[in-house]
Amino acid sequence: MNKKAMLYDSTRCTACRGCQVACKQWNDREGIQYSKTRNTGSYQNPPALSPQTWTFISFQEHQNNGNFEWLFLKRGCFHCHNAACVEVCPTRALKHDPVTDIVTFEPELCNGCGYCSQFCPFHIPKLESNVVTGEGKSSKCNFCQDRTSNGGLPACVQTCTAGALSYGDWDDMVALGQARVEAAKARFPNANLYGASILGGLGQLYVLAEAPSVYGLPENPTYEVARIWQEIVQPVAGISFGVGLLGVAIAWIIARRNIRMEEVE
Amino acid sequence: MSLKLKDSGSMITIRWIPRYDGMERFLHWAHTAAFFPLVITGMVLFIPFLAPLAQGEAGQLIRLIHRIAAVFFIAVPILYALFRPRRLLNTLRDLRFSRYDIEWVKAAVPYYLLGKHRDMPPQGRFNTGEKLNVIVLVTGTIVFSITGLVMWFGKGIVPPELFRAMVIIHDLAMIATVNMFIIHFYLAVAHPLMWQSLVSMRFGMISESYAREHHSAWYYGEERARKLYEERKKAAASEAGGHGG
Repeated sequence: MNKKAMLYDSTRCTACRGCQVACKQWNDREGIQYSKTRNTGSYQNPPALSPQTWTFISFQEHQNNGNFEWLFLKRGCFHCHNAACVEVCPTRALKHDPVTDIVTFEPELCNGCGYCSQFCPFHIPKLESNVVTGEGKSSKCNFCQDRTSNGGLPACVQTCTAGALSYGDWDDMVALGQARVEAAKARFPNANLYGASILGGLGQLYVLAEAPSVYGLPENPTYEVARIWQEIVQPVAGISFGVGLLGVAIAWIIARRNIRMEEVE
Repeated sequence: MSLKLKDSGSMITIRWIPRYDGMERFLHWAHTAAFFPLVITGMVLFIPFLAPLAQGEAGQLIRLIHRIAAVFFIAVPILYALFRPRRLLNTLRDLRFSRYDIEWVKAAVPYYLLGKHRDMPPQGRFNTGEKLNVIVLVTGTIVFSITGLVMWFGKGIVPPELFRAMVIIHDLAMIATVNMFIIHFYLAVAHPLMWQSLVSMRFGMISESYAREHHSAWYYGEERARKLYEERKKAAASEAGGHGG
């Protein structure tokens, strides 16, 4: 295995949003129509992840020693090594790429149950489905699997003009991120590398200018409930049905041997 | 009902006592008919070799069947409650436990396994086993309905933490009800002594002799059943004491 990662350096990002456009273009995602765009008092646009928006730059207003500044962050799938979505997905539509360890998504296998969207500790996968029938699909970033498996770069990395995005071997990206953190410390004393030691090592690493909590990122995300469900409740259920059937079969054999109907009133 | 035995002059007469009314039997069978597709479609999450059925189009169809069956599973008990509110309350009142329930469990093991007729402690319209079955299935139905509706219509609206709890509780209800159903099916359909249970759920009647033995508090009334039982127990004890001496 040759584990891959993307590094996003928020201290280099200029929020040009070229990555958003490149992602939509390469992955055939629809944009929001002019008529549906609303001013929400922020430059952030689109406002959130959606089935059509796999990545976007969030604009956070922040004060640093009384001076206003924006904190930018490229939002999208973290490609966790220990991934809650892969654990709960009943269809294997979500699984790890055996070579790159990226969490890939196959829409043909997805049945639209949406467990991924509910169990992801980062709330990344987005479900688009009919509320009544449940028919629909989930979707999320796959690091442009069609490009990377052919030796290319993800579309967002390819297009990044500010040099904020890099893609490569996981170890190299961690080393690069640590170097970037050191370089950024002069301007951002709270700079840190996010993701190297979370959930077995995230595939999406961040160089953050401030503490993760400032960005609303969990310091140490876990997915205990998903694990209890998949590793305890479901196997116990299956075993209990087997034990129940076996017990009843044994009781039936004992009863058949001992009960003589002609003696029954 | 009387019938003449072949090659013999003797007659057998069975007196039938009404036990379930039409609405109760409708509730039972309609709920059963909804429960089956729900369990079968739910099993794709529990039995590994069924997992491919959860994928893609097949998975969407299975989820749709699960939802259609769920509508009936929820609607049938509500309809019953609307049409027969008093009978429902009486039934729920019949589910209270008494000190005879422990004695019943002690007597039930040799009876159901070995066919040994010991004196059955007085039981009302439902015996201890039936009470347990009704309690688990009624509670399960309520839990399934609430957690299922939250998962159906609350996805993306309710906090994910609540959704996750609903998933787990739905599964726990599945473990409880399916295992209870396995036991219920065995005792009601497969057990050689219990041929009357299917008859009673089909035609609403049980025989007088069965009612007298298994539901004496219902047949005689609570006080008389208790008196008869205590007398029989005393007689049996003195007989056993006499043998010992």
